[in-house]
Order: sequence, then structure tokens, then C-alpha cells
Amino acid sequence: MIEAQNLTRRYGDFTAVHGISFSVGEGEIVGMLGPNGAGKTTAIRMITGFLPPTSGRVTVAGKDLFESPREARRQLGYLPENVALYNEMRVEEYLAYRARLEGLSRAEARDAIGDAIERCLLSDVRHQIIGTLSKGYRQRVGLATAILHRPSTLVLDEPTVGLDPKQIIAIRELIRDLGRERTLFLSTHILPEVELLCNRVMIIDQGRIVAEGTPEALRERSVGNPTLRLTLKGAPDAADTLASVPGVVAARPAHPSTADGVWIVEHATGTDPREDVFHAAVQRGWVLLEMARERTSLEDVFVRLTTQDRAPDAATEAVEAAEPAEASEKAEENEEAVS
Amino acid sequence: MKAVLATFNRELRAYFFSPLAYVVLFFFLVINGFIFSMIATYLSDPRSPAGPPLGLFFGGTLFFWLILLFVAPVLTMRLISEELRSGSVEVLMTAPVTEGQVVAGKYLAAFTFYAFLWAPTLAYAGILAYNAKVDWGPVAAGYLGILGIGAMFLAVGVFASSLTKSQLVAAIVTFALLIFLFSFGLLENLSNSEPLKQTFGYLNMWDHMDEMAKGIVDSRRLVYYASASWFFLFLASRALADKKWR
Repeated sequence: MIEAQNLTRRYGDFTAVHGISFSVGEGEIVGMLGPNGAGKTTAIRMITGFLPPTSGRVTVAGKDLFESPREARRQLGYLPENVALYNEMRVEEYLAYRARLEGLSRAEARDAIGDAIERCLLSDVRHQIIGTLSKGYRQRVGLATAILHRPSTLVLDEPTVGLDPKQIIAIRELIRDLGRERTLFLSTHILPEVELLCNRVMIIDQGRIVAEGTPEALRERSVGNPTLRLTLKGAPDAADTLASVPGVVAARPAHPSTADGVWIVEHATGTDPREDVFHAAVQRGWVLLEMARERTSLEDVFVRLTTQDRAPDAATEAVEAAEPAEASEKAEENEEAVS
Repeated sequence: MKAVLATFNRELRAYFFSPLAYVVLFFFLVINGFIFSMIATYLSDPRSPAGPPLGLFFGGTLFFWLILLFVAPVLTMRLISEELRSGSVEVLMTAPVTEGQVVAGKYLAAFTFYAFLWAPTLAYAGILAYNAKVDWGPVAAGYLGILGIGAMFLAVGVFASSLTKSQLVAAIVTFALLIFLFSFGLLENLSNSEPLKQTFGYLNMWDHMDEMAKGIVDSRRLVYYASASWFFLFLASRALADKKWR
């Protein structure tokens, strides 16, 4: 269980986190979502006790992180964004060291290490030197470290960043598994991850919580109309016909050219024009190859909530820029690893 | 205590797993062996004034100090800087440990390795004992002086390492601080007023090693090294607690 009250962190004149309050209940998996630089890592560092907040307080399993840090930290497992390990040690050796650091007795440590190695699928590499491990394995060693002392609460900062798709799936499965018996708080900027893993989502932007709720509840806050996606054959221009169907608000080709026949049809919330669309197509002699309802995604909500204060142009730019920014981040990481 | 031991164990292993330790050990022994053989040759010449060989070895030559001034920064530069650079400080300091425990564990590991560096020089005393009569009192006092001064130098190094992510910067800062501390004592010979002379005399490590090598153990000196060590280690733990560097 984590409770944060009015957490604020300033760096000089810059306020990274503005008085955020939230709680993560027992057995819940809560995801913190936000664009890069929103204050996620700062917030995480405060709730793990690494960074003292400028003001506010945090309790973990009822223990105040700054008044009784040792008791609180014992309840906490933490996977930081950049998993830094001691490269010259072997996996098992490192876990043994961590177990001692956590104050486990010899017998407890033996059990705990065996357990963590098994759960994080590390048995193949238990005697390997950490410096020779792949990024995915390092991440798992980091997770093993976090769960080693059997904490009631886990905090994971971007647990899947920089992994390949196969590793991402494995880590997500592991996280879901861990979340069954623990309180879990994780941060990410990958939207599908939140939908896959979390019971509850918190969106933060510019150091403030801008939305909170279940993924479903947040999706409902999407302002856009529900849409249908159709593929029509033999319809060079279907826009007017589709737009005249009752309930339909607008129809446009999915791509600039209509050659592939894919159309996006927006309709009013609460209407279901699928039947009428079908009949309209039949009347015109068009072949309806495909028709599907598009789920409004968290993405819309996310983009809208996190770009409110900025100019619309800047907002779309920011979204488009997100990908290359990530790539360059990775490049930086690699450089660091090389040096 | 467990946390101190865990940190101590890890750091001590890290020394022996890094090539740096062996490079330091190698040059340390080569240079010390060279100095020792020079002293032995010099003293065995009938024209030279008589003196205890180890007395000269312990601080009698500038080499001794040069080695000490280089070894301390090299042994300590990695200790905290590397944690800050790699980010492993984050998982370390979110474990149920205090900054003081971490600093203590790391410092003790450095000190142990430092003592390990000196251990082979006991062989020199053995060689002398084989060929001549050795007065063991001054030898023991000499080693006590080496450990005392080393304790302070390493504490300065740990402190410098807690200030920066860069091992190089840590080493340079340590070296500068040590030069400063060391030359403080040498000011004794330059000052005219008696109180100043006494103050600097109290801090004069060269004199101190000379005394120790003659078998004079002055507890004030040891108190100085112990309190200075404690002071720098305290500063190191404060610096580690203050995470504004992020």
C-alpha cells in the first residue's frame, strides 16, 4: 500500500512535481502515465524514498518513508528506470549481497534467492557475470532484486523500456504475475501496457495529476465520436452517400487517396449505423469487404489531457516527436554502455 | 552492522576483481622494493652513518609520501563516484540502509585493501631479522603510523568520491586535499612564531613518521588521524544523503 500526500518537488526555480496526492490500495496495479519530462521519475523517486520531497509525505504499508525509513523501505521493492547493477558480480552473488543488505538471515536469503531466480526465470544465468548479460536479463535481475526481500509493495519505473518485443511480453507476464499478490505501482509512457496491466491509471503532465480512473472510465472521457472503419470495393467516392446515413456525422477516406477503398465513418455517440451503412452500400452496388467498430483508445484521452495548455500545432508535433526522442534516448543509453 | 558487512564484502571483492587493484599492488611493491634495496645498499656502505633501515623506509624518503599520496586517491576514487555515475546508488539507497552504513562499509574495504598492500613489506623486516638484529618496537610503531595516516588519507578519498560522478575528478580532488593536508605540516619549518610552529608541528606527518619509526608513539597524533578520518567520513555520508546532484 502506498499513500502519497501533497508531494511537491522543486529543483531550484523549476517545480517538477506539484503537490500530487494518490493512494495505491492493497493488491492494486496502478499505472502512472505521462509524456517524457512529466515528472514521473521524480514522483517515483519520492515514493521510494530516494529523493526527499520538498513538501508532502509518503507512507508505505502504513510506515512513513521519512520518519521510519528502514521499516518502510523493507516493505518496498524498487526497479529504477535505468537498472544499474554491479557488472563484475555474478547474478547469484549479487542477489546474495542484496539479501544481506536487506537484512535477511542466511536461511531466509537462501530461500529468497532461489525463489527470485525461479520467478524471474534466471536459472540459466545464475552463475553468469552480470556485465555479460543482455538488457532483458539485466531487467530481470533488477526485478529479482526488487522482489527478493518479499516486499508487500513494488514500484517499477518504465519496466519495459529498451527491451525487444519478446522480452517485453515476458516482463509483462512476470509483472502481471507479481501483481497478483502485491501492491504494484508502475510508470510507463507506453499506452497499451497500461491497458494490459493496470486496474487503475493516473495520467500526469507537467507535474500534476490530470486524470485518474480505470482504463475504461478514462476511455469514456474521450471527446471524439465513435467511428467505423469500412473497406468498400467499387466506390470511387462514397463520402456523400455515407454521410447521408442517419446517425453518421462525417465520412472520410482513411488515406488521402480513395483507391484502396478504406473509409472512416464517424457517428454520434449512442447510435449504431452499421445496418444502414450496409444497406446504403448494397443500394449503390458497392461490395462491402470489411466493417469494424474502432475502439476509442486511451491515446486520444492521453494526448488531449497532456497537451491542453499548449498550442494545438505544438501538441501534434509533440506526439510525432515522441518516437524519435525515444530512439535518441536509446542511442544515449547505448553510448553509456559502451563507455 | 549487517549492512556494513554486506557493503564491506562487496567492495573488498570488487577490489580484487578489478585490474586496477593489481596494477596498484604491482607498482606499489616494485617501488617499495626498490626503495628498500636502495636503503639497504646505502646503509651497508661502511662510510654511511648508521641507522635503522626500516626507520628510513617508513617516511624517511620522499618516495614513501609520493606513494601514499597517489595510492589513497586511486583506491578510493571508485567507491561512491561509480555508484553515482551508473545509478546503482538508487537501488542501494532505497534498501533499508543508512548513508553512514554504506560509507562505513566502503571505507573499511578500502582500508583493508590498503593494509593488504602493506602486508608484503613485512617481508623486508623478515629479511633484516634474518641478517641482523631488529628492534620490533619501532617497526610496530612504524606500521601503526602507516595505518593511521592511511586511515585519514582514505577517509579524504571517500569524501571526495561522494562529491562527484567522475572517478577522475574524485581522484584529483583527493590528491589536492591530501597535498594540502600534507604540506600544512611542512609549514612548521617556515613559520617564525612559536604558536604557529607548534600548531603546524602537530599536523606534521613527516615528523610524525620519523618519530614513529624511532618507536615514539604520540597519542595526540593518533587522535588527530582518527578525528580527521571521522570528520571526512561524516562529510561523505552527508554528501551521499544530499541527493541534489540528480
